[in-house]
Amino acid sequence: MWKYILKRLIQMIPAILITSFIIYFSMNLTSGDPAMLVAGEKATPAQVEQVRQELGLNDPIVIRYLKYMGGMIRGDLGTSYVTKQDVFKTFMSRLPATLELSFASVLIAVLVSIPLGIYTAVNQNSWKDTAGMIFALFGVSMPNFWLGLMLIVLFSLNLGWFPSSGRAGFQSLVLPAVTVGLGLAALITRTTRSSMLDVIRQDYMRTARAKGASERRVIYKHGLNNALIPIITVIGLQLSNVLTGSVLAETVFSWPGIGRLIFDHISKRDTPMVTGAIIMCSILMCLVNLVVDIVYAFFDPRIKAQYVQK
Amino acid sequence: MKKRYILIGLLILTVLLAGCGAKKAANTNDLNNDGIKDTLVIGAAAEINTLDLLSQNDQINNIVLKTTHETLLYPTNDGKFLPKLAESYEYTDDTTLVLKLNPNVKFHDGTPMTAEDVKFTLELCLNSTASSSMAGLVSVDVIDEYTVQLNLESYNNEFLVNLASVPVSIQSKKAYDSGMDQPYLVGTGPYKFEEWKSGEFVSVVKNENYWDAENAGKADKIIWKPILEASSRVIALQNGEIDVCIDPPINELDSLEKDKNVTVLEKPGTRLFYFAFNVTKEPWDNKTLRQAVASAINRDDVMEVAVFGKGTKQTTILNRGLWGFYDEMEGFPYNPERAKELMAEAGYPDGGITAKLLIANSSPYTNIATVIQANLKAIGIDVVIEEVEDATLKEASVKGEQELYLWRWNEDQKVDWVYGDLFRTGSSYNYQHFSDEHADDLIQKVLVEPDEKKRYDYGVELQEYLVEECPQVPLYIANLVIAYNKNLKGDYLFGGGNHDWSHAYVAMEVK
Repeated sequence: MWKYILKRLIQMIPAILITSFIIYFSMNLTSGDPAMLVAGEKATPAQVEQVRQELGLNDPIVIRYLKYMGGMIRGDLGTSYVTKQDVFKTFMSRLPATLELSFASVLIAVLVSIPLGIYTAVNQNSWKDTAGMIFALFGVSMPNFWLGLMLIVLFSLNLGWFPSSGRAGFQSLVLPAVTVGLGLAALITRTTRSSMLDVIRQDYMRTARAKGASERRVIYKHGLNNALIPIITVIGLQLSNVLTGSVLAETVFSWPGIGRLIFDHISKRDTPMVTGAIIMCSILMCLVNLVVDIVYAFFDPRIKAQYVQK
Repeated sequence: MKKRYILIGLLILTVLLAGCGAKKAANTNDLNNDGIKDTLVIGAAAEINTLDLLSQNDQINNIVLKTTHETLLYPTNDGKFLPKLAESYEYTDDTTLVLKLNPNVKFHDGTPMTAEDVKFTLELCLNSTASSSMAGLVSVDVIDEYTVQLNLESYNNEFLVNLASVPVSIQSKKAYDSGMDQPYLVGTGPYKFEEWKSGEFVSVVKNENYWDAENAGKADKIIWKPILEASSRVIALQNGEIDVCIDPPINELDSLEKDKNVTVLEKPGTRLFYFAFNVTKEPWDNKTLRQAVASAINRDDVMEVAVFGKGTKQTTILNRGLWGFYDEMEGFPYNPERAKELMAEAGYPDGGITAKLLIANSSPYTNIATVIQANLKAIGIDVVIEEVEDATLKEASVKGEQELYLWRWNEDQKVDWVYGDLFRTGSSYNYQHFSDEHADDLIQKVLVEPDEKKRYDYGVELQEYLVEECPQVPLYIANLVIAYNKNLKGDYLFGGGNHDWSHAYVAMEVK
């Protein structure tokens, strides 16, 4: 198992190198001179040139990239063109907010979607199934930007239960987490339902029933256990997506997450900040995928056995 | 069983993370001893990027820094400049400006502000990317502890304005010499920097030892919270989470005005939105054709779609409120018939022109562009709208790659940052690439002519000339719109948006 984890960690290196290469070059290929943006609207051409020299923008792009990567190997993700702050420190200052929102929204999604998915699968083709699927369709199709505003109007402005924006403790987490979580829940519900439908018809389910196991045990022990792998995959993917930023929800709720950080700095052509933040996000994504793979082993002894053989 | 553990683990992790981030929100309902709400919370429409005076250029950063730092002179709401850190100033000749400093001024760390600090700050500025703020300064001499002499390249009317600009706020030499982290945060202002959490808030607290007791801050603390989504900002105001909502969405003003706890203030702004030509590109090097286009644009419609009519149509190229503003010329008001005549005179009686209009991909440009596209279609010009990001538009315009474009300019202090920056030959912000000897001559005269009457006349002549030459078609000045707690007091609002919140506060409600 440890060998497998080490191997996966080593495999992250080329993935991160490729990501950094793509991001760095695409940021530099995009039009818009960072020196002009940093120097400001009233700067003279000489000042813009001074900024360009200070930022090292006169070097060929390959040299800039190599210098950047040299810094990265030493653990230095560079300094933001705009804020003049250390990119790593800035990223880390935003990470807790993103982790909070990500885990809370995935938790809400899981709590809503897995029971609902099972329920709709067990009651396939009934009105309960239709109602559950309408909910899922609603969740998938509803822009979370709009849902966020509606939740703010209802729970913040009218009922006064939660703050409408900002990050100040548990209360302020509820509305953004519900907004993001409901979007995620829709997909997980559909996956749970279809995965459960696949296993519900299997012979071992019939055998379990024939052996006199309760319906609850049949569904949760024999059914869900075998249906979990695709569900975990989807949850992992969703978690990766949320970790790398929920720009719309973060904007509506003024949540100081990574998505907003990256979005804001892309428009300012802040190459070090964008590249650094995306590299860190890709590391996070790789780690989440690794954790998902490890979690597979907990639920499926066959996969665990493979790891042990390795 | 394992599933349950994972679920419980996830739950605990979330609560723990939420707990880690939990920070007691400022209790915005507390009142201090003077019956003033202790914390003034301002909902900002933009992210705060940096608080280093000399390496920032966004309005929101300036606004925060106005509470913690002070300038030698202070700009008033009516365009005048009053002594602040400098007690008095005097031009001993055209190129020598002597400033007497107020000996009572102290930095936040308690050290007195002296001539050495002023020299240090101005030299720091000259060597920074903000050196345009001190254009014309050659050197600074310390005469005595509280007197400095500024040696200038040549006389210009606007040098004093530089001394009132936020990047030139006086900084502490001692703070820099001490090697402390972020020495630029030490100022002389009525508030002291407290905390900045990126993306969350910036807070400043009252400077209890402020040198000018009469003008000390009122609220104990001021917090700026970036709430970028305009509707969320409005809800936060109505909810009492913030006291001030900068730039509420224009389409929500009616409902806001009905809220008895909120005041919506509208006043003339200074931000000018305009349509312009790259005059080096054919056929836009044809002045008459440019005038035809100007006559074809319906500014009423433009203003209606852009700001629901909440603005002022404008003919001249100068920002409203600036010294020498003159808008009485006839110009080229909306007149489709005249536009067609001018098209014929320009050599295009049947139109037949196709042109690309470059715009920023945000409001209000997208709305304005649609109206202009329809207006120009009526005189035979097919406009293809190309939406790009601001940065792309700027770069294309500097390189002269664009044909037609929409942009804006906000200036509320220096006229040369309009005339010179936008119309002087070779200026990097002369996106029109307009080059005209007569205009350059007038721009220089307005800058250096010491006789105010003559200077005013030159300014009027220049504005009339530029409107006639028509490298730019001014559209409208958007109103400054701001919504706030009805109990907000204090003089703080500037038409250009560079508000000073140092003396603003929310008074206790009288029951």
